[in-house]
Amino acid sequence: MAKLLEVENVFKRFGGIVATNDLSFDVEEGESLALIGPNGAGKTTIFSLIMGEIRQNSGSIKLQGREISRMPTHQRIQSGISRTYQVPRPFADMDVAGNIRVGMMPDSLWQMLLRGPDPKAELDVALSVGFKQEDLERTPSTLSMGDLRKLELARTLATKPEVMLLDEVFAGLTLAEIAQISELLAKKRKEGMTFVIVSHDLRSLEPLVDRAVAMNFGRQIAEGTFQEVMGDEEVRAAYLGQ
Amino acid sequence: MKGIMTPRHVALWIAFAAIMLLLPQVVSNGTLRIIIFANFLAIFAMSWDFLSGKTGYVSFGHPFLIGIGAYTTAILSYRFHMPIEYSIPIAVLTTIAGGTFFFLPALRIKGTYFALVTLAFMELIYQLTQVIRPDLTGGTRGISGVKTLLVGAVPNYYFSFLLMLGIALVLWVLARTRLGTALDAIAMNEEAVSGSGLSTTKLKLFAFMVSAAVAGIGGAFYVHYLGSIAPRALFDIDFVFTIIVSALIGGASTIVGPMLGAFFMTFLLEYLRPLLPGSERYLIYGLVALVLYVYQPKGIYAIIADLRDGMRSKNANNSKNSGKVGDGKAA
Repeated sequence: MAKLLEVENVFKRFGGIVATNDLSFDVEEGESLALIGPNGAGKTTIFSLIMGEIRQNSGSIKLQGREISRMPTHQRIQSGISRTYQVPRPFADMDVAGNIRVGMMPDSLWQMLLRGPDPKAELDVALSVGFKQEDLERTPSTLSMGDLRKLELARTLATKPEVMLLDEVFAGLTLAEIAQISELLAKKRKEGMTFVIVSHDLRSLEPLVDRAVAMNFGRQIAEGTFQEVMGDEEVRAAYLGQ
Repeated sequence: MKGIMTPRHVALWIAFAAIMLLLPQVVSNGTLRIIIFANFLAIFAMSWDFLSGKTGYVSFGHPFLIGIGAYTTAILSYRFHMPIEYSIPIAVLTTIAGGTFFFLPALRIKGTYFALVTLAFMELIYQLTQVIRPDLTGGTRGISGVKTLLVGAVPNYYFSFLLMLGIALVLWVLARTRLGTALDAIAMNEEAVSGSGLSTTKLKLFAFMVSAAVAGIGGAFYVHYLGSIAPRALFDIDFVFTIIVSALIGGASTIVGPMLGAFFMTFLLEYLRPLLPGSERYLIYGLVALVLYVYQPKGIYAIIADLRDGMRSKNANNSKNSGKVGDGKAA
């Protein structure tokens, strides 16, 4: 299979702290990769670097073989990559439909002006993440953490990504909500979506991934199947404190 | 564009226009002159709202834009005897170009810093009009004797109202497109807009250029209504606050709200004039703004919307209850 996302020798320093240290990994088309590591390992930083929210000091990031390091965030999203955040970031004064609408908008002023919203497409996206029709008019302040994560997924899916970066999708959720999100991700995976997933909930993460990369202090310490990585001594020492 | 203007909206806009167009039949010329000022203030407040109310980039320097429009047409028509039909379009284009040149770098900074930079621009142009080519700008005295477009309160009232109405309709329709939604989203979470695949720079630039064009139109026509321009009155902090408070009292990001706010503010200030002839009036409007904010931070527009919703639910309850009574009687 073709490599969809390639991170090569990426180095990022914040003042005296090295957040990612010569980090390299790649994700194949249709693959689901777990990115694991203790707090402060640099997992969220690498997501921010891939999305262009911050820029690396050196190294390259390629999407479908094309270097994207110099692209602004919105162009990376148009190229087919999208992310969710640890803390959901909805548009607070817009309802669920409005939030999805922004995700679905074309980056063209003319099209925004001349073509109205597509309520059916908005509903389809909402339903695909497990919302009900009546949820479309709810505002984020009335949503549970599980629903906020669904909204984050819906807005991300609305950009029609080929690879999704999911940051702590299970954090703060009830067991029922975790099951619901897991089911949704499994379905998307079957449909061919490529994922890079960061989560501390290893039990929920395991069935959703093909492969895992473990990080500590910004560098890769292990790579392989989920079981192989979890069995790695350095990973156990760093991640599980053993 | 479907669904932007419903039949109810059309009816409301027509009713508003009809009432305003009939006003000269029932009110004095003095009152009409107050409304003319309200019309121009509404244009300035809506211009501010399209940039600052929508995107959250609060401009404290809108008189900078208004001033470019006003000075350009005043200089061209008064000093170079250019016909107004050329000087006004040139003034509007100059406002867009000049404003973009200065403001565009400022759109890269956020919050308080953006507000301060725009305020600095206003001070800058205030000083520039006095020291650079005072032979053109008229220096501290400004320019008087600028050609007026129309004579008399009634024609000026009709013209200023139709100009304001046209601008209000265009901005209101723009605000209700998906583009308007995207601008609202910038105010809520700019990073998330970018994270939705949209260029926020492009969106902000569009909002800015529309805002500048409206400020330029307003400024240019205002100077040809007054027949004079004075830097001290134009580049004044009181003028900035009148624009911003009108927009906020009316309801930021709604376009219609700032229009209502401008009328409210103008009449409030006018009716306070006999009681408080000096700047103390501004204390009163600060107080009114404060009370209004405590009661409804989203302004007059939201108060009207709340009243409408309240009446609708009351009507719905009444019809439900009367239905039950009816059923009871039938039983």
